Amino acid sequence: MNAITEHESAMQAALAPQGDGEVLLSIRHLNKSFGGLKVTNDVSLDLRAGIVTTLVGPNGAGKTTLFNQITGHLVPDDGEILWRGQSLIGRRHFQIARMGIARTFQDLRLFNQMSVEENVLTVMEPVSWIWQPGGRAARQQRLERVHDILARTGLETKARTRAIDLSYAERKFLSMARIMAADARIWLLDEPASGLDRSSYERFLGLLRSEVAKGVTVCIIEHNLDIVVGISDRIAFLDQGKLLADGLPDEVLKNPHLAAIYFGDQTS
Amino acid sequence: MLAYLLNLATLMCINAVLAITLNFIMGYAGIFSIAHAIFFGVGAYSAAWLALHASANIFLVIPLAMLVAGALSLVLALPALRVRGEYFVAASLGLQVLGVTVFSEWKSVTGGLGGMIGIPPAELFGHAVADPVQFLLLALCCLIPVLLLTSVLLRSSFGRNLKAIRDSESAAHACGKNVAVIKTLSVVISAMLAAVAGALYAFYMGFINVESFMLDTSVLLMAMVIIGGTGTLLGPLVGTVLLMLLPGVFSYMSFLPQTEIGSIQQIAYGLAMVLLMIYRPGGIVGSSSARPAKEKAA
Repeated sequence: MNAITEHESAMQAALAPQGDGEVLLSIRHLNKSFGGLKVTNDVSLDLRAGIVTTLVGPNGAGKTTLFNQITGHLVPDDGEILWRGQSLIGRRHFQIARMGIARTFQDLRLFNQMSVEENVLTVMEPVSWIWQPGGRAARQQRLERVHDILARTGLETKARTRAIDLSYAERKFLSMARIMAADARIWLLDEPASGLDRSSYERFLGLLRSEVAKGVTVCIIEHNLDIVVGISDRIAFLDQGKLLADGLPDEVLKNPHLAAIYFGDQTS
Repeated sequence: MLAYLLNLATLMCINAVLAITLNFIMGYAGIFSIAHAIFFGVGAYSAAWLALHASANIFLVIPLAMLVAGALSLVLALPALRVRGEYFVAASLGLQVLGVTVFSEWKSVTGGLGGMIGIPPAELFGHAVADPVQFLLLALCCLIPVLLLTSVLLRSSFGRNLKAIRDSESAAHACGKNVAVIKTLSVVISAMLAAVAGALYAFYMGFINVESFMLDTSVLLMAMVIIGGTGTLLGPLVGTVLLMLLPGVFSYMSFLPQTEIGSIQQIAYGLAMVLLMIYRPGGIVGSSSARPAKEKAA
């Protein structure tokens, strides 16, 4: 047991965070338990501007729980989450979203009875009342932006279709369209490409690359190793709530100890 | 016969306002309240009290009744909106029971079980609206703005936010929507507009007591919305017309035992609800396909 702990410590120290961008989101010694189960165990992680960080790990490693704590859907027991130096602890989820942290959900959570266009437009509207600031000109700009986003996600012909009536791949792209409309500095994507066929998956990768090139900072939970390799600047490996490694993709993915955990062979 | 039709049309207008306002929170915000009759009652009692003690001028009475109902709904909505789904239904049932108890026990204001009698007719520009035709026009003049206002609200960003919350509250949060404020506002707007129906009812009947604001009224209003079509603009109107025509239709069927019309009516409501839920869950006006179950919150 001690040997494993020493091994983990050495690995974390060796795989120092990469990238020179500003630290947008800093997680410090975060802890969260559900009863006796520790789902986040002293996790510290920095998300830097312009960097794509992928969270990998077996099911139940605490990846989505970490997202839920960052976005305020869960309150950590202990530790700190700083967004550009400001603490997110105690803030409500909508306030965190308004600060520039957007997320998608593994189960998508689209606004099912609303049209594709409305799904995207709703995210863009800054005020929740009848009138929006900027009048007709601003509304026209928003509509043009909606159509631009729908064109980029391949949903322009489905603008008037209800979200519930879309195919699975289209629903995935609508989830992406919604986050693109949020104007956020950082995207937290929870398994955005799971279940996509090959061509949709290629389209998704292209879309993500073009958005990253525009300066969006991304943190992805992903099991598909092609995507992990194809898009990641850094990989953070979680297991049983603990951050076991945080570093360059090659270094993390080629680590036999982590591969053994990921693929279920604990004996190696 | 004309008097009967005028009475039916006036009560249809009043109930349509209630059904539209219930649909506003139920169909668009996903708030399944079975306490709507309480806000109807608050409007009616406030209007009756003002008409008896101050003035029957509708430009004074209706806004004040709306304010009272709005303020009360705010006080009650804030704790109740902390719970969701079936828990909110249970909380609203508690509110319904509480409201009925207050209506029947606060004798100095509501007149207790005996209610309030001798409510003067509504005054409009100094003219007493006592004639049934004039009152029907007044009721229509209230129904149309309520319909227009809800229509405008639902087509605006406020309406889109309501629908977003209904479809996925956690996703609405993640999109930066202040769900608690939007839901509270929707309940307040709904209660205020329901109070308009309450004020009209008090003026029209000239007498009110707790019997009109019991749980069965709330359930009937919910049935109007569900049968007509939740989340549609015309559904509540269609549901109101159908359910209010039904007793009249039964009473004209001479082969039915006239002393059991009430029971037959309840059986017909129940059957209609069950059949609709099986074959047309979206209601008469709504989509024919079933809605998916709401996604779980994070």
